[in-house]
Amino acid sequence: MDIGWYLAVSALVFCTGAGGVLVRRNPLVILLCLELMLNAANLALVAFARMHGSGDGQIFALIVMVVAACEVTIGLGVIVAIHRRRLPVDVDELRELRG
Amino acid sequence: MTPEAPHIDWAGLSPIVALTAGGIVVLAAGLFRGAWLRRYGVPLLTLLTLGATAGLSIWQWGEDKAIVSRALAVDDLAMFLNLLFCAGAIAAVVLALRDSSPEESGHGEWHALLISSVLGMTVLASAQNLVVVFLGFELLSIPLYVMCATNLRRSKSLESGLKYLIVGSVGSATLLYGLAMIYGATGATGFEQIATALSSQAGLIDDPLTLTGIGLIVVGFCFKVSAAPFHQWTPDVYEGAPTPVTAFMAVATKAAAFGAFVRLFDVALIDAATNWSPLLAAVAVASIVVGNVGALTQTSLKRLLAWSSIAQAGYMLAAVVVADREGVEALAFYLAVYLVMNLAAFAVIVARERETPFGDDIRSLAGLGASRPALAWPMTLAMLSLAGIPATAGFIGKFTLIGATVDGGYTWLGVAIVVGSMLSLYYYLRVVAAMWLSDVPVPAAREPVPAIAGGSPELDAAADPEDGAGQDAGPDRPVSQAEATAVAVLFGAATLFFGILPSPLFDLARDAGSALGLL
Amino acid sequence: MSPTTWGWLVLAFPLAGTVAVALGWRALPGKLPGWIGTGAVFASFACAVGALLSLEGREGEEAKTVVSTAYEYANTLGVDANLTILVDPLSVFMILVVSGVSALIHLYSVIYMWEDRGYARFFAYLNFFVFSMLLLVLAGNFFFLIVGWAFVGAASYFLISFWYRRRTATRAGIKAFVMNVIGDVGLVLGTYFVFKHVGTLDFVAAFEKVPDEFAHNDGDLVAGCILLLVGAVAKSAQIPLHTWLPDAMEGPTPVSALIHAATMVTAGVYLIARMHPLFEQAPAAADVGAILGCATLFVAATIALTQTDLKRVIAYSTMSQIGYMIMGVSAGAYAAGLFHLMTHAFFKALLFMAAGSVIAAMAGIQSLDRMGGFRRSMPFTFGCFVVGGLALAGVPPFSGFFSKDEILLLVGDRGGWHWILYAVGYVSAFLTAVYTFRMIFRAFLGDSVPEARELEGGHLHHAETPVNPMTGEEEDTEVGFPGPGHFIAEREWPMKTAMAILAVGATVLGVLQIPHVTHVIDSFLEPTFAGSEFAHHEPSDGLIAFGLVLGTVLALAGIALAWFLWVRRPELPARIRSGLRPLYELSFNKWWFDELYDRTVVRPSRAVGGFFRERFERWVIDGALVGGPTGAVRGGSAFVRAIQDGYLRVYAGLLVLGVVGVALYFLIVSA
Repeated sequence: MDIGWYLAVSALVFCTGAGGVLVRRNPLVILLCLELMLNAANLALVAFARMHGSGDGQIFALIVMVVAACEVTIGLGVIVAIHRRRLPVDVDELRELRG
Repeated sequence: MTPEAPHIDWAGLSPIVALTAGGIVVLAAGLFRGAWLRRYGVPLLTLLTLGATAGLSIWQWGEDKAIVSRALAVDDLAMFLNLLFCAGAIAAVVLALRDSSPEESGHGEWHALLISSVLGMTVLASAQNLVVVFLGFELLSIPLYVMCATNLRRSKSLESGLKYLIVGSVGSATLLYGLAMIYGATGATGFEQIATALSSQAGLIDDPLTLTGIGLIVVGFCFKVSAAPFHQWTPDVYEGAPTPVTAFMAVATKAAAFGAFVRLFDVALIDAATNWSPLLAAVAVASIVVGNVGALTQTSLKRLLAWSSIAQAGYMLAAVVVADREGVEALAFYLAVYLVMNLAAFAVIVARERETPFGDDIRSLAGLGASRPALAWPMTLAMLSLAGIPATAGFIGKFTLIGATVDGGYTWLGVAIVVGSMLSLYYYLRVVAAMWLSDVPVPAAREPVPAIAGGSPELDAAADPEDGAGQDAGPDRPVSQAEATAVAVLFGAATLFFGILPSPLFDLARDAGSALGLL
Repeated sequence: MSPTTWGWLVLAFPLAGTVAVALGWRALPGKLPGWIGTGAVFASFACAVGALLSLEGREGEEAKTVVSTAYEYANTLGVDANLTILVDPLSVFMILVVSGVSALIHLYSVIYMWEDRGYARFFAYLNFFVFSMLLLVLAGNFFFLIVGWAFVGAASYFLISFWYRRRTATRAGIKAFVMNVIGDVGLVLGTYFVFKHVGTLDFVAAFEKVPDEFAHNDGDLVAGCILLLVGAVAKSAQIPLHTWLPDAMEGPTPVSALIHAATMVTAGVYLIARMHPLFEQAPAAADVGAILGCATLFVAATIALTQTDLKRVIAYSTMSQIGYMIMGVSAGAYAAGLFHLMTHAFFKALLFMAAGSVIAAMAGIQSLDRMGGFRRSMPFTFGCFVVGGLALAGVPPFSGFFSKDEILLLVGDRGGWHWILYAVGYVSAFLTAVYTFRMIFRAFLGDSVPEARELEGGHLHHAETPVNPMTGEEEDTEVGFPGPGHFIAEREWPMKTAMAILAVGATVLGVLQIPHVTHVIDSFLEPTFAGSEFAHHEPSDGLIAFGLVLGTVLALAGIALAWFLWVRRPELPARIRSGLRPLYELSFNKWWFDELYDRTVVRPSRAVGGFFRERFERWVIDGALVGGPTGAVRGGSAFVRAIQDGYLRVYAGLLVLGVVGVALYFLIVSA
């Protein structure tokens, strides 16, 4: 199968993720969308690794998975902290910092 | 037959090893019960770790080798940047000694996060491989996301943490996608192989994959160095984060990101320069304009410095665009100067946040020249230096930057730097004027402590009696800020010193600039 | 110790003195600031002697040029600005003269300035000046030459305006500063022209490259040398940038002696001598210098004939004498010009000190019209004044006779149109004798004025209310005005010592260089000027003898004429004045240079400035230029902050927008 198809799917997933970040207000969902963006990149990496026949892309993808997990964990931690401060869990309400 | 173990260059790896080990030790030390150990032992261990890292970096000075399967470079540029990271982190630890954020989030955790962020920076500064670039970026960013939010009782701190996390992750994802495209186009992750592929395969430079990759990487990097139009997280995060964290973030992140910037663009992607240099030049000019314009009307000092850092990022981007040895030298010099002058300013802000009820508002500096010359002078020097007034390090730095742009054939970028500096005089001198020309404001007797104040419980408690009785006429509380004052004086003096005698720093910057083997 | 070590010490002492006096002015009691300053300069002089001995101890011509770099100040972007000193016979000669004369003038000032409220400030400035001047002459590259050059300009400004509550003094300070800045600009631009070709700021390296880089009378080099000449002319008060020097007499008298007679104003002479490899490659520029020097020496001598202010007469005589030196060094008579620089430093400092003593006896009044008859009450001052006057007039065997004749001899020996310079030089020498002795006879002979009689009675005159001698405005004696006390040489040993040493020098220093007898200066400076094309030129014996006789005759004739006019027939000058009205007006009004500048430069620029302030500023600058960008910046600021609205999703959106923008850019580029 042509590499173009993989890339098309990957790009679609990436855009879905980006669009989600833009339209959703719940930080938990935004974190999910970020995962989508990272995994779109993973898909592209693995596809390229296959195309070039080298392992570099796969290793890269593995490392990205680890990093993505860290990022989500941290994100959850911050959201919990916000919740415990009885602050609204809604990114549009968090705009004390501006200007 | 036993498989042969790969050769490990422990000497070259030693700064990274020291940071890793130090981080674990600090995290463990934070688990002990003794309050003294947590409060003073942990910072002490952190300082030891950072000092050891700096020492090892000096030890490795002059080396020029690639380690870990050519994924990391040990050269003077990396070591120079290591020293900057350590200096920034040491200043942050000292400024945080009395801060509420380590108290609220746990000393061990706070300091371990700081160390792991420095670790990410050292990895990034020596990255020779796309994987390592991404890894380094995440390793430095993720701890910073948390550190921004470590003032758990202050909503602004939490808000800044979440904002940084989300926008930062979008930036990282963009960068990652760009890296994937470059890998797809060239089939390699190592910088040398990428450069070889780009120069040897005809048409690869204008390949859509390459172009997409370059575009996305430009966005990701510009986001990390907070260049316009990808700057928007900067003022909010700078303002919301605990001030010592802001200080560290402002100076060290920038150094690390620019280090990776020159390695990736001026070495690996140098053959595609015709594609990316107009883009970066446009971003540089946009940053200079947006940063200076945005800073004009700020009253929060941290926001003001944030906008100013956007403008400064624009100045430094100009050196990346030039993409020759002189540009890298000027960049290395300017990064060091930038660190020195910003730390002086942030140290003063930290001290005044704790001394006055105005937080980081510009009013907190009123009358400082008369009441606290030891703070007013460093701040004055820092501001003059940021504006690029002669006899300060900032002047020499800007002079070399402009010289590099002119020699590199980008005179108009040099002109943009000059125009931006002229604009910036307005807001930098406003800070100076506040210190020397205005009287000490006396807060109204019944006025509650503004929400903008440091927000720490100690400060709020200390503010209470004054509200009722008003026994003290001046807003200066007799809180000793010896360590913050010391940091301010040290870096203020360095600003002046390197402004008058720049050549020691020049020599280091020249070695660092030569490391990339550019012309 | 090596010569350069001594050289660094020469610089270090006055700098330390400046810092000590400037920081300790409140704590230092009594005359201590004065003694610290004096001690520092004496120590500097001792080190200069050390440098001399150490340099003389070295063998060979090459070894006599020693360079030492203390610090690489800025070695980047092709610029090599290092903190380098160059110790060679020329610089050693200069530091000896500068530190030696400065030391004596410091000694004099310890008493002379004693009751001034700014006593410590005075010595801080004075030491700073000495440091700057030594830096100027020791600098081993253009960069520190310019630094020293600017420093002495600043020091001169501080000291001219020392009595800063006097309006005349501050004005004079500003005038001097502005004129000097013109010179500074010339010097910097001239340096640029040279640097552009030779690619180094270092003297030794630059001069080596000059013959290879520049053709004979190369356009760039001539332009560069003319610009250097602008610097020299401004600093040395030569036509056309001379008008600041007479006004600079507003400073205290020791300042006039030190800066505006003996040292700083000779910096132009030093500059041309130091740059002689450049000027010899660009003879066109050197000729301009010689002509300017010649014009100055004549014009200044004619002006000095009619001035009535004691210090201003000496100031014009200084201009005139420096004109001789500039003419000399520009025409290749380096050693002679420098020799005259040295003798002039001695006798002119002496004249100023004696004048200061007289002015003190007059309680601050400087007008010759009010003076007379001080011969009896101030015998020592009178004696010193006469010695200085004889040296200035060029009467053998006093020092000025030999040095001035040497210059004219070598200039005349160049032949061609240089004979005009030679003739003008001798005419002016005659005028010099006349105005010098006019001054002496009017101040010391004749009937005693009341102040002189009071002094004969053993009492030093003190004014009821001090007034500004220029305008007659009343003053007090607080800081910013001259102090209440006055001191004359007859009563104070430090003043007496300083003057006595200078008087001896002014008398005997001529023996260093007598044609066919001694060649001390020539042979000492030999290594510096070895490469010069004029180095080994011997004028004919006939010319030498003619010059010596002519000089003697003219000097004695001038003195005789002065005696006839102002002692024997004191009513004659008034008749001559009315008979030769136009000439008198020309001289008395200083050839209308000030008026000329006022009409051509000051007033037009003021009118243009006024127009710009009233019209252009308001409508074009404030309205369009500033208003436009200011509005744009304000609007931009509001816009940028409006986007920064705190909505996280907007931030992410802008990031995505940026990505789209980049993608669009690449689409357009690749399409």
